[in-house]
Amino acid sequence: MKGGTWAWVAALTLVFLTRSGVVAGPAPAPEPPPLPEIALETFPDDAREALKGALDAARARPEDPEAAGGLGLALQAWEQWQSAHEAYLRAQALAPANPQWFHLDGIVLQRIRQPAQAAEKFARAWRLAPERLAILARLAESLFDAGALDDSERRYRTLADTPASAPVGQLGLGRLAAVRGRHAEAVAHFDRAIALFPEFGAAHYARAQSLRALGRRDEARKALAEHRKHGTAWPGIPDEWAALVDTVREDPRGRFLRGLRRAANGDLAGAIEDHEAAVAVKPHLAQPYVNLISLYGRAQQWARAEAAYRAVVELGYNLDDAHYNYGVLLDAQQRYEEAAAAYRKALAANPFHALAHNNLGQALERERKFAEAAEQYRQAIVNRPSFRLARFNLGRMKIATGDFDGAIRELEPLREPVDDETPRYLFALAVAMVQGGRRAEGVAMAKEARALALRFSQTDLARAIDRDLNRLR
Amino acid sequence: MTTRLPLSAAIASVLFAASIAAAPAIFEEVAARVGLDFVYDNGAGGEHYILEVMGAGGALVDYDNDGDLDVFLLQGQPLVPGAPPSGKTHRLYRNELVPSGALRFTDVTAGSGLGVKGYGMGVAAGDYDNDGDLDLYVTAFGRNTLFRNNNGDGTFTDVTDAAGVHDDRWSTSAAFVDYDRDGYLDLFVANYLDFTVAGNKQCFDPAGTPDYCSPNAYEPVGDRLFRNLGNGRFEDVTESAGIARADGAGLGVSIGDYNGDGWLDIYVANDATPNQLWLNERDGTFVDDGPLSGSALNAAGNPEGSMGIASGDYDADGDEDLFVTNIIGETFVLYRNDGSGSFDDVRVMAGLAAPTAPFTGFGVDWFDYDNDGWLDLFITNGAVNIVEKLRGDPVPYRMPDLLFRNVGDGRFEDVSKQAGPALARLEVGRGAAFGDIDNDGDIDVLVNKNDGPVRLLLNQVGNQASWLQLDLRQPGNNRFAVGALVTVERPGLPPLKRRVRSDGSYLVAQDTRVHFGLGTHTGPVAVIVHWPDGAAERWTIDKVRQRISLTRGSGSPATAGPAGAAP
Repeated sequence: MKGGTWAWVAALTLVFLTRSGVVAGPAPAPEPPPLPEIALETFPDDAREALKGALDAARARPEDPEAAGGLGLALQAWEQWQSAHEAYLRAQALAPANPQWFHLDGIVLQRIRQPAQAAEKFARAWRLAPERLAILARLAESLFDAGALDDSERRYRTLADTPASAPVGQLGLGRLAAVRGRHAEAVAHFDRAIALFPEFGAAHYARAQSLRALGRRDEARKALAEHRKHGTAWPGIPDEWAALVDTVREDPRGRFLRGLRRAANGDLAGAIEDHEAAVAVKPHLAQPYVNLISLYGRAQQWARAEAAYRAVVELGYNLDDAHYNYGVLLDAQQRYEEAAAAYRKALAANPFHALAHNNLGQALERERKFAEAAEQYRQAIVNRPSFRLARFNLGRMKIATGDFDGAIRELEPLREPVDDETPRYLFALAVAMVQGGRRAEGVAMAKEARALALRFSQTDLARAIDRDLNRLR
Repeated sequence: MTTRLPLSAAIASVLFAASIAAAPAIFEEVAARVGLDFVYDNGAGGEHYILEVMGAGGALVDYDNDGDLDVFLLQGQPLVPGAPPSGKTHRLYRNELVPSGALRFTDVTAGSGLGVKGYGMGVAAGDYDNDGDLDLYVTAFGRNTLFRNNNGDGTFTDVTDAAGVHDDRWSTSAAFVDYDRDGYLDLFVANYLDFTVAGNKQCFDPAGTPDYCSPNAYEPVGDRLFRNLGNGRFEDVTESAGIARADGAGLGVSIGDYNGDGWLDIYVANDATPNQLWLNERDGTFVDDGPLSGSALNAAGNPEGSMGIASGDYDADGDEDLFVTNIIGETFVLYRNDGSGSFDDVRVMAGLAAPTAPFTGFGVDWFDYDNDGWLDLFITNGAVNIVEKLRGDPVPYRMPDLLFRNVGDGRFEDVSKQAGPALARLEVGRGAAFGDIDNDGDIDVLVNKNDGPVRLLLNQVGNQASWLQLDLRQPGNNRFAVGALVTVERPGLPPLKRRVRSDGSYLVAQDTRVHFGLGTHTGPVAVIVHWPDGAAERWTIDKVRQRISLTRGSGSPATAGPAGAAP
């Protein structure tokens, strides 16, 4: 009885304490975060339709993590980052063992530059899917960006030790060493990254910065030239979940963007298909038509290219590029006079269009109007000083008109940077030197041009230089 | 159900609230109250011309040499073909502070020669003709204009054609700089894109709503350098000086001696293209050391959407560092100079990355708002593409401004919330000019907004600490000593270095006086001036908390560094 009394008192006390919050009882499952508020009425038709479908599905199946995650995916594809993050939060709460929603949320958080929060998401995803190197790469990067250098280093070491991710791992280790002021060590890592993936633009740039810090400026300049050559090339680590985002959109703009990616990857037919799909639904979009002029031109579908040109002119947008692309198309068909007229129209719409100036210069050159051509090339350079081809053309015009000193002044700056265009620039410079009376310098320059031509496997050019050198002898 | 706080917590909370209420806001916005009734109109007519989203700047300079800062603001125009002109012009406001003693502005545009119509962008101020007053170079979408100041009498004359400094392309920031040390101010002009109304591109936001294009939709156009020949004319030396060797979509320009060789260099903030660091080769030519210096690209080797520039010695190590505002999602970047013109990107370590990620920044500069001796940062923000949270808003580009306090150990603290309601207001900030507009010993900020009235932020706290302002003068050439480097030495504390300049920020010309916050130091200070030609002079100033003029030749000789560099 006594024990029973104590048990009763204890039970009563427990009820009281629990209700009063002093002792926690079994915690009820927390309510998952709400779905994002989306003002659908502020979106244009395509986006509203796509987002409404995903939102309706998520509302209809409030406990379904796939529906919430699907909404996140749609929002991410439409670059509505904050709302996508909120949708992913709900998906994570509903399916805490599914790494996909953590990973995609991490990507969104990276995009809006919240690296510490992104790192938390990637860490969770990585624990759930340790076989996915793409997650680990993003985790390492986020930790680095958040200043958690030691943690980042651990992850990058794992990546560096795994063949499929080794270049990225080496780049990360190099950046860590650089940020800690250990530039010699950094260069060694960058060298390894580049050995594994020679086109690694970011590694070339980072290497240049560390070489500069070490006082090795000439080597740094060479590394920068490599960076210029390779740009943003990056060794891909397959990421199926991230790739999903690109497949979500079937709206005209989504198709247009996909068309651009396909064009960049050399898929001409695919690019045309996507561009056509975009304007089939939204015929008021100007840029797809502008691109189609070129794409059809590359496919030698002249009539279709003409139709695309007429369509964009009718719209009245992007006219300078439309006329310019049309001019290139006409050039390709050897309709030179019409091409020149198109370039003039491009320049009427945009007097600063450097490419149109250059191509009009070539048209004038064909008509042997050298002075007028030279003026067009000069305008191209004034508007875009780094336009090397226009400078080369101006140099040639000066040779043609006997202004050898002027030609040398134009052509000299083209000696750097060295790329596969440089041999012919040097050859032109050699010609200007020889004809301007600087024979010995010209011969030396021609030899340099020849050696460079061979380095770039330009045997025809090398032979032409040989012929000229022989004539000089 | 009511949740009650324990009594002690409630009392503490009341006391805390009281202490917040007692703390004055750092800035008070007073533009309309003091007569600055300018409202910028970008002329937007629904075509989303990229020009409309870039805003404009102005000048905060003493055009009439009466000892206070006047205001010149640039206006936009409708661009849609056939649209009726707005009738609005650029406006000049005279500050009546001297001699009235009250901060009040009078619109003196009429008859000044500056009330022209056009799509104005930026202003550079400098005494190009060495007659003792500041002339104005106005950049525009269209024809740029050089206005000669007629002896400070309130009138200006368009001398563009006679001077040979026209440029019909879309120009943005410009700066006067005596790069060849001949005593005459030369002119650098940044140009942006090959946009034209007839060549307008059609662009959309990611959701498909018509929006402004990214700069990548257009091609950048080259910048220009004009050498002052000393006879009222300039020569275009863009090609021969090497400036034509690189191009970019130029928006911000700052002048400084970034590699410490005593010669002035030029830094250009380019939008979505690599920034340029034009190092002065001391022979009339420049080389772009941007990529090698580490100040052109981000850590991944990619260009950022750079707009405004702050150039100054934030870490008091004697060299000029760079802070550059970027587009939303990129974060703003702090490039720390190692003294030789090599820069490290220290935005994360400085605590400036995460707090700036949600913003698109434009006007910015280093300024010591609290006069503690450390350079702080004010940034005016405003998007160029629809902000996700503002979808459906009539102006979906609005953002608050930011204020960062330099803690003194290389890090910055976001004090925007303490700055007062003026900074919290959601607007589209563009040109921001800095100067002590009420002559009270602290630095104020003038902001030209893209969607509305100009804002004048009066500093309410700075002059609680000690300060010194110096107005440098040279007899003969370059009379305002633009480019001179001024060092203030305080016993037991690191020397402070500031440059005489009116460049920097975004699209503005600023006060050429140099301001030093001195913290608690009230005793004498030594002032060393390295004049633009490399000569050095020294003064001892017994009394601080004052504004004084230092004329070349009135001090005692001091030692110059190598090639005239600051030691």
